[in-house]
Amino acid sequence: MSDRPGILASLTDRITRVGEGAIGTVRAAFDLVVLFLGTLGGLFRRAGRPRGAVVEQMHIIGNRSVVFVAVTLGFLGMVMVYQTCLQFNKVTGDFSQVGVQFIRLIVSDFAPTLTGMMLATRVGAGIAAEIGSMKVTEQIDALRMSGVLPVDYLIVPRFMASVVMTVALTVLGGAIMWLAGGLTAQYSFGVNPNIFYDLSLVTGVHVGLGLVKSLSYGMAIPVVAGFCGLRAKGSSEGVGWATTAAVIGASFSVIVLDFIWSILGFMIFGGSL
Amino acid sequence: MSRRGEGGRIAGLFEGAGAAAINVAREAGGMVMLLGSVLRALVPPSMDGRELVRNLHKMGNRSVPIVALTAFFAGALMTIQSAPFVQRLGATSLAGWAAGYAVLREIGPILIALMFSGRVGANNTAELGTMTVTEQLDGLRALAIDPVRYLIVPRVVAMIVMLVALTAIGDLVALLGGAALGKAALGIEWTTMYHSFADNLGPQDFLQGIWKSLAFGGAIAITSCHFGTTVRGGAVGVGRAVNAQVVASAVSIMLLDFFLTYMNI
Amino acid sequence: MKDAKASAGPVIEFRSVAKAFGGKPVLKDLSLAVGRGEVMFIIGTSGVGKSVTIKHLIGLLRVDAGEIWFDGQRIDQLDERGFYPVRRRVGMVFQNATLFDSMTLTENVALPLRKLGGLRMKAALEQARVRLGEVHLTEFADRYPAELSDGMRKRAAIARTLATDPEVVLFDEPTTGLDPVSARRIDRLIRELADHRGATAIVVSHDLTSIFTIADRIAFVYQGGIRALGTPAELQASPDEVVQQFIRGKSSGPMETPGF
Repeated sequence: MSDRPGILASLTDRITRVGEGAIGTVRAAFDLVVLFLGTLGGLFRRAGRPRGAVVEQMHIIGNRSVVFVAVTLGFLGMVMVYQTCLQFNKVTGDFSQVGVQFIRLIVSDFAPTLTGMMLATRVGAGIAAEIGSMKVTEQIDALRMSGVLPVDYLIVPRFMASVVMTVALTVLGGAIMWLAGGLTAQYSFGVNPNIFYDLSLVTGVHVGLGLVKSLSYGMAIPVVAGFCGLRAKGSSEGVGWATTAAVIGASFSVIVLDFIWSILGFMIFGGSL
Repeated sequence: MSRRGEGGRIAGLFEGAGAAAINVAREAGGMVMLLGSVLRALVPPSMDGRELVRNLHKMGNRSVPIVALTAFFAGALMTIQSAPFVQRLGATSLAGWAAGYAVLREIGPILIALMFSGRVGANNTAELGTMTVTEQLDGLRALAIDPVRYLIVPRVVAMIVMLVALTAIGDLVALLGGAALGKAALGIEWTTMYHSFADNLGPQDFLQGIWKSLAFGGAIAITSCHFGTTVRGGAVGVGRAVNAQVVASAVSIMLLDFFLTYMNI
Repeated sequence: MKDAKASAGPVIEFRSVAKAFGGKPVLKDLSLAVGRGEVMFIIGTSGVGKSVTIKHLIGLLRVDAGEIWFDGQRIDQLDERGFYPVRRRVGMVFQNATLFDSMTLTENVALPLRKLGGLRMKAALEQARVRLGEVHLTEFADRYPAELSDGMRKRAAIARTLATDPEVVLFDEPTTGLDPVSARRIDRLIRELADHRGATAIVVSHDLTSIFTIADRIAFVYQGGIRALGTPAELQASPDEVVQQFIRGKSSGPMETPGF
């Protein structure tokens, strides 16, 4: 394309591309923030929200994820306790701390974050696929033409449903993890359930931290996934691309948010956590 | 919309559960069939080398940054989780043990596999799905080229190789992340952390994660190819297939993890 | 000339073929014999089962009842593996062209040469360029399918199918959605295929211009079977009201069309 000498040309080419990529990322991040604020604003506008949409979305996001979350978190609970007991078995053979530490970690981290990861996958992909399909078949433009804000119509109901259902599923997933972990400890290592199911280390701080995490994932997943869906272009390829981007974007948001909240929690509460 | 009685509602619930079970069984059956034809295609191990290289290159390019970032955060997170315990006991030499053990055996392989499924698996489903709805797969068959041999086998092999490699790299990055956080938040020196890793972790911890990633790679590959090649109904169908793929992959990863842990491989 | 071809026996024969989708019968009792070197058009309204008919020939669909014969061999009972030898001899150009998005035109055409012709990559690419030249696409040889027009994609798909010199070529609506100039170019390609290479062409179409310029014979599919069969002149002279309605393109008449 260019008549400059090879290496220099390819170098400037590469720098240009990196620069363009960086600008694109910054712009996308800015758009994402705008969408998030628009969604928050949409919570106070009743007009564009279709009747019954929130309940419908709660069913799609929540009820349909129950089996998925229960199965994945149940198995994870079993595996984690099994691995931990295996380690304690090698070192001390004393299992009295396993249950009490496990529930502390479930409440403050495992339940919200693993549920969040699972929902990022299932709900994120679902939202992006649906909104992306509407985008490429020009239904979003049709919405705009009829004077409805796509954010109010599409994102806000999913946002409200997701926040409520993520918290609910976190409680369910955590309970199943705890139960499955206890059963594993009892049947594989002979740990007394009375010792395993011990809540004495769980404090209000743990509950608060878990709740904050769960709420933030519930907010992030629909916004990130909806954002990817609204950016879908082309036809079937575009929808596939949007769905992929949503899964990665939402999962990564969960990891980063977990990191931020965990660090903040540790900085504020330190060793008492 | 007609109101059904309590009995009708319960019957409807069972109906729904039965339909869902049949659906799961059908998809699982389809995946087993696909696995069978992939294995049969591998018997005289012939494969399109160009497709293999192309897929390895593309999948690697797509997933390395996200996997490295995920692994770094995963390692750091494991250290944070054990931090209160370590600080209370003042047992800094144990910090590497808890974090390293969890990362190598569980969190590393699982998180990396989930990210890989979201990035590479989903992409593969979308790509194959697009090829299916635009009849490109039938086009291959019409050219007397077996789509399983030409398209599926190189992808399956590439995904398994790539996920194992990424897990090996990811493990190192995760330990680095754990050590970095230990230094930043707990003030544990790099050398202390290094010794804590070296004293408490053995090759079997690393290898268990690698074995797992081998199985996860196979599961993601078969799942994503199955959902990609059975897409119906245009753009909507492709989106739905990608959605089904990530869910099915996540469930298979958890199930495999459970069985592999119990068999203590 | 045509009599000589017919005496060699049909290369393809459908015998009372029936096919239903989800309980809905599409083909009920379809019988048709296609002679060697013939350009046979299969015409009829949308959804009548024209594409369905030809997809049976390469095993993309399986019959519910009836038999299909290719070159003296019964093929309707073959399994997926058994169809691969048939597919080497019977090529198909799909309605959507079905070029592979990830490859340039040359790579697309080189693929069957490499896989079936056993050529090395370099030789296959050279050969592919020659084949693309035959359909006047030399200057677009290194472009990707997404960058080209529908007509170019279709021509490239034809080049890919012809690359391995199949004896029978199936065309599924080769001119649908193309501008008239591109459409006539494709017509000429099909005619040359039969005249110069002695290949048999079966063309599914409702492009009346193609039908009456290049067809040797025309089979009119209606209600799951062949309603009329003959040369273009014979069909034009047909006393059948349904046939007349279709070839004159009239909206009203005795023809029953599903969905209207």
